[in-house]
Amino acid sequence: MTKRFGGVTAVDDVSFDVPKGAFATLLGPSGCGKTTTLRTIAGFYDPDAGDIQIGGRRVNELPAHRRGTAMVFQDYALFPHMTVRDNVAYGLRVAHTGAAERTRRVRETLAFVGLTGLEDRWPSQLSGGQQQRVAVARALVIEPQVLLLDEPLSNLDAKLREQLRVELRTLQRRLGMTFVYVTHDQGEALSLSDWIAVMNAGKVEQAGEPWEIYYHPRTAFLADFVGAVNLVPARVSELAETTVTVTFGTHRAQVRRPPDVTVTAGHDVLLCVRPESFSITPAAPADRNGIALEGTVARRAFLGDTMRYWVRVDDREWIVDQPDPGAASPLDGAVSLSVRPERVHVIAE
Amino acid sequence: MRSLRREPVLLLALLAVVALVLTFIVYPQVQVVIAPGPSGYVDFLQGGTWIGPLRNSVEVTLLSTTTAVLLGFVYAYAMVYSHMPWKPFFRVIGILPLLSPPFVVAASYLLLFGPRGIVTYGVFGQSPIIFGLFGIWGVQTIAYFPFAYQLIADVLSRSDARMEQAARNLGAGPWRVFWTVTLPLSRPGLGAAILTTAIYVLEDFGNPQIIGGIFTVLPTQAYSLISGFGDFTSAAAVSTILLLLALGLYVAKIRLDGGRAFVTVSGRASSMPRPPVPLGLSAACFVACLALAALLVLVYGTLVVSAFTAVFPTNLTFTVRHFEFVATGTNGDALRNTLTFSVVAAAFSAVFALFAGWLVQRGTWPGRGALDFLLIMPAAIPGIFFGIGYLTAFNQAWLDWVNRGWLIIIAMIFWNIPVGYQAAVAGLRQVDRSLDEAATSLGASKLRGFRDVLVPMLGGSLRVGFVTTFVRAVTTLSVVIFLFTPATTVATIRIYQLVNDLNWGGATAFTVADIGMAIVALVIFAALARGRIALGAARA
Ligand SMILES: Nc1ncnc2c1ncn2[C@@H]1O[C@H](COP(=O)(O)OP(=O)(O)OP(=O)(O)O)[C@@H](O)[C@H]1O
Ligand SMILES: [Mg+2]
Repeated sequence: MTKRFGGVTAVDDVSFDVPKGAFATLLGPSGCGKTTTLRTIAGFYDPDAGDIQIGGRRVNELPAHRRGTAMVFQDYALFPHMTVRDNVAYGLRVAHTGAAERTRRVRETLAFVGLTGLEDRWPSQLSGGQQQRVAVARALVIEPQVLLLDEPLSNLDAKLREQLRVELRTLQRRLGMTFVYVTHDQGEALSLSDWIAVMNAGKVEQAGEPWEIYYHPRTAFLADFVGAVNLVPARVSELAETTVTVTFGTHRAQVRRPPDVTVTAGHDVLLCVRPESFSITPAAPADRNGIALEGTVARRAFLGDTMRYWVRVDDREWIVDQPDPGAASPLDGAVSLSVRPERVHVIAE
Repeated sequence: MRSLRREPVLLLALLAVVALVLTFIVYPQVQVVIAPGPSGYVDFLQGGTWIGPLRNSVEVTLLSTTTAVLLGFVYAYAMVYSHMPWKPFFRVIGILPLLSPPFVVAASYLLLFGPRGIVTYGVFGQSPIIFGLFGIWGVQTIAYFPFAYQLIADVLSRSDARMEQAARNLGAGPWRVFWTVTLPLSRPGLGAAILTTAIYVLEDFGNPQIIGGIFTVLPTQAYSLISGFGDFTSAAAVSTILLLLALGLYVAKIRLDGGRAFVTVSGRASSMPRPPVPLGLSAACFVACLALAALLVLVYGTLVVSAFTAVFPTNLTFTVRHFEFVATGTNGDALRNTLTFSVVAAAFSAVFALFAGWLVQRGTWPGRGALDFLLIMPAAIPGIFFGIGYLTAFNQAWLDWVNRGWLIIIAMIFWNIPVGYQAAVAGLRQVDRSLDEAATSLGASKLRGFRDVLVPMLGGSLRVGFVTTFVRAVTTLSVVIFLFTPATTVATIRIYQLVNDLNWGGATAFTVADIGMAIVALVIFAALARGRIALGAARA
């Protein structure tokens, strides 16, 4: 699918399949075309090229209100002149659902999202988190084929965001409904999703399971965008069926050969290592199977659950996370790093 | 466009709106402009009869606009900046003239300063010639300074009080702040207010018609060419010149304020606190406002006194005879017609304007810009031109089966579209699109979403459109002067006729009844809307 606004190509020949019943996330930096993709699915924009299919049926010619998609908006878009109950009942009323059934479904859905007792409030009398829940309830109650959510948590504070994240995930599991979720927050995407498509400049750079994207990013952009990472230039020296031998600096290591990517001997590549894949010790490394590096601590930052070190090895700094650092005094001076070869991922440049 | 094809009902609605606009805004105007034909224009321009009225129109517009704006400015400055007492009183006095037909000022002027006027003849024993330029100048100044006041007060009250506070904190005096901060910042708004006042004055038909005498301006010339000589071609050419002038002013106005539509006039004071001004300035403001208010009270008071006395000013016995006259026969019908026509026109105009505003503001179809322009254009069309347009286009034998009252109503609807339309567009801009999209994504068609979500939220825009159209419909003379029939006559027409017949008791009682009716109606609307009404004082 392609969508242009005047001269700007907001979504550029993007193609993906969202598994039915999955919690699918479009992740990407600001302006990469996530919202445009979502709104085109919803029918608010007409694609300039390509098709949109829902449940195998082409919906390009269906107006937005007949697509069976419901949307949860970033600013919630609750109807300010309707109470919580009327907001949630709106979609059912439009669909001419009978009064008795309507009442029942509204009650059930409100209970489902934990809003029982607030039926008669006006949207302006609710907290941000409650408004967000009403927005979700209002969309869920019509039992759409696909629920579309555009950064629904971005207006909330960190704590509440985390809590609602869990709730949304649980809700989706229980309903088995397909969610398409848009966010620019990689933590949110990783923790919520069954499936992630990372977008950049109007294109999908990679799509797949969260851990695939996290540990085996196909591009440097992806590696960098999804969490902290060490990206180290290296050269391919030998190729085997399932492994590659690379050299970087004075080091040499045999690591996993990435599938469906062409790497050629003698070419430059990037090594991608997540900070938490290292183990860091003051003495010489114990794990002789791994790739070992000797260096000195340049800086460190205490992040609560981890201690992050910047370790200088030869002429570059590596980011290394030490989980569960404990209250003992942090490492300093000379340290040894080691990482298991399967944790080193090769990105073809 | 594709989205329209998917929603045929919406497409039909759009086509209906376009058809109505073409029929009732474009078609009549085009009829007038092309009526003389190329050779007609050549003959007419060579004839030169238009030069005098054109010069007069320009002259009187310059003079009256200048004085009206100056007085309006003083009044507005006093209301917005000073700390004078009696502000609520001055506010009410400032609104009242907006509810009355502007030309009744001329009637009052005749009573006060005419050949048998209470001041000229009664006090000084003189019968001066008061017709002509100076009379019109004075009358228009009084008739239109309240409009200028509303426009300017709106501009001033929108100026940022924080900046004034900041300038005062930096040590500038109130006067200095006003000249170096407030005025420069509100210059475009003030310019637009001046131009809007100029359009009012330029298209004023009633006042020059009553006291102009041989001093003809473009609107009165157009009128007398038709009613006196049946010379329709020349009248069309004259009104086209008038239209061009008004359009010029209007385009300049839009350049200045970007087409900001309307001023909301409500009885409430602005809550923005202003830095204090010296006591002396407040006192001066108070005196000035008192004088201006006294002038208005004199003008309108004269009408009221005359309405309740046997023969003003010679026999001041109290009587309700004139009101009995007003309530009976054709007169009673005229009052009733005014009420029905105005309410019906206001309701249709407000609803139609809202719907059209929605189609334009929320639509994505091509040609929206053109429709937008057409819906704003009537604001630049002088009433007399609009009336002649409807006369030409629809006063046809084959339309005789239509009640002529509908013609008046339709003219009022479309002449007043711009205020309601721009109020709707402004209102829609305040409502985030995600609200309509939420409705759509829950299964409501666009029309359904409009009805369920936007209409309830745009009550304010609807009320501005309704009240403004109502008031302008009650007070207009020029639009209806070519459209009424004996059965569909309205209050302003009857007042005008009674003034011409020198039936002062009848004319003034009619005026009082007309204004009173407008006030009562507005009070009822206000009660129905729980006090939330606002009148768009300006033309869009
Ligand atoms: N209605 C529009 N008209 C013109 N350009 C648009 C429009 N909507 C989006 N764009 C452009 O298309 C590109 C993609 O925008 P989009 O809103 O899809 O980004 P996004 O990924 O949702 O970003 P964010 O995370 O900031 O919400 C941007 O360059 C944007 O400027
Ligand atoms: Mg977005």
